[in-house]
Amino acid sequence: MHNLIIKNLTVEIENKKILKDFNIEINSGEIHAIMGPNGTGKSTLSKVIMGDPNYKIIKGDILFDGKSITELSVDERARLGIFLGMQMPLEIAGVTNADFLRTALNIKQGNSFSLMPFIKKLNETIEHLKMDKNMIHRGINQGFSGGERKKNEILQMYMLEPLMVVLDEIDSGLDVDSLKTVGKNVMDYYKKNKPGLLVITHYQRLLNYIKPDYVHIIIDGKIVKSGDFSLVKEIEKNGYENITKNDLYDEGKSKK
Amino acid sequence: MNRIKVVNDLPEIISSDDNIEITLLEKNELFSINSLRIKVKKNTSLEIEYYSLKETKLDIFIKVDEDVKFNLFEMREGNNTKVQYKFYLEENSETNVTKFYDVTSIKEMVIINLNGVNAKLNYNFKTISEAEEKYDMIVYHNYSNTVSNINNNGVNILEGNLIFNVSGFVLNNKKDCVLNQNNRIINLTDNKCQINPNLFIDENDVEANHSALIGRFSDEEMFYLKRLGIDEANALNLLIKGFLLNDISKKNQSKIIKIIDKYWR
Repeated sequence: MHNLIIKNLTVEIENKKILKDFNIEINSGEIHAIMGPNGTGKSTLSKVIMGDPNYKIIKGDILFDGKSITELSVDERARLGIFLGMQMPLEIAGVTNADFLRTALNIKQGNSFSLMPFIKKLNETIEHLKMDKNMIHRGINQGFSGGERKKNEILQMYMLEPLMVVLDEIDSGLDVDSLKTVGKNVMDYYKKNKPGLLVITHYQRLLNYIKPDYVHIIIDGKIVKSGDFSLVKEIEKNGYENITKNDLYDEGKSKK
Repeated sequence: MNRIKVVNDLPEIISSDDNIEITLLEKNELFSINSLRIKVKKNTSLEIEYYSLKETKLDIFIKVDEDVKFNLFEMREGNNTKVQYKFYLEENSETNVTKFYDVTSIKEMVIINLNGVNAKLNYNFKTISEAEEKYDMIVYHNYSNTVSNINNNGVNILEGNLIFNVSGFVLNNKKDCVLNQNNRIINLTDNKCQINPNLFIDENDVEANHSALIGRFSDEEMFYLKRLGIDEANALNLLIKGFLLNDISKKNQSKIIKIIDKYWR
């Protein structure tokens, strides 16, 4: 059993506060969805969890299995078992996907790393994700479509077998078929490995495949409302604006 | 496959076919310069292996005939070389140049003459710079519809001091020429490096692009790799290897990897 706890986290970049007193707890086997309009801090949250040094933590803490990770580097956090599937995966020419994954697995597994099982697993996962087999010898995301890039993120997740998975808008740029493939493969991984899963998205369509246990709405850097899957339907029906208004009204009432 | 091995300033023809004429001219004793003349008559490839153990000077003239496709791959190791390349690329010819250098101290001048309509040059140069290195490159678009794609990449280390001077010329009335320059230096030292990209164009109907970048790998690139648990040193190794191997054919990569592994294993 593993858990990620974010406590009263306030984060800024270029003197602008993005996350404000943010709180969440994610345990192994739980699926959390974070939803919210553009520019409310969703992607910041994912990068801060992973340790992007461009963001400055002003206050609060991030705990993984009870220990603070805020002083750990990006790679140290990854080696603890935290994985970030990025919204906009980078293209890195010349570094092949095979070299990239082999290096990551080699570092993770150390002496127990063996090439043949690596190749076997890689080929199987590529097939499951309905990816082009030749992509593995191409530069990272070099010449990939938006959909291929997102599938590549899921491929990385499968290869690394993380304990805590953060997927930042993994549905953007996906056509209907690719969305289904990605959604199904994320759920297959979840069912087999039971990681804690944090899915950041704008839309219900991804959550039709990845069913969250908890749904949180983030506005202006903090969670303003949490609920179950019915909250997703409410957002689809009424939009974030009405949810926010109602929430602020509720908040006002509760404070009285 | 045509192959030439050069040790210091002495070229030796290892193999050649009928599609190419390779001539070693008499040494200019006054300036102590050897000259190599290469005439490419039909589609073919040439590989040059260059080892220099002492101060050497060499002039290489390459003429690619009309309608001919020519691939040149050169690997150079050693020190203290002064080399001048002159290319004469005729009508409808296509020349693909790939060069990888691991030398200490070099001055090189490359002059390219696109001497016929539709002549095209793809030039892909990589170097690991650990001392004074200066590369001057001049591309003359002497005819309409000529194309030059220039890609110069260097990794600057140790006492490295790398300079790329790249100039493209298009004369008036030489229409629809395409000039692309992409120069990047990854500077892993505090030493000064320079890129001076120049486009001298006296014609309106031209497509010209240039980029020049000196610096380290971006934070975004490092984050993307580290995100999978790859530490700083290994992430840097991966990026350097990728930078130096990008656009190099599989066939030629193994020799280059051996050199890269000397520095970043």
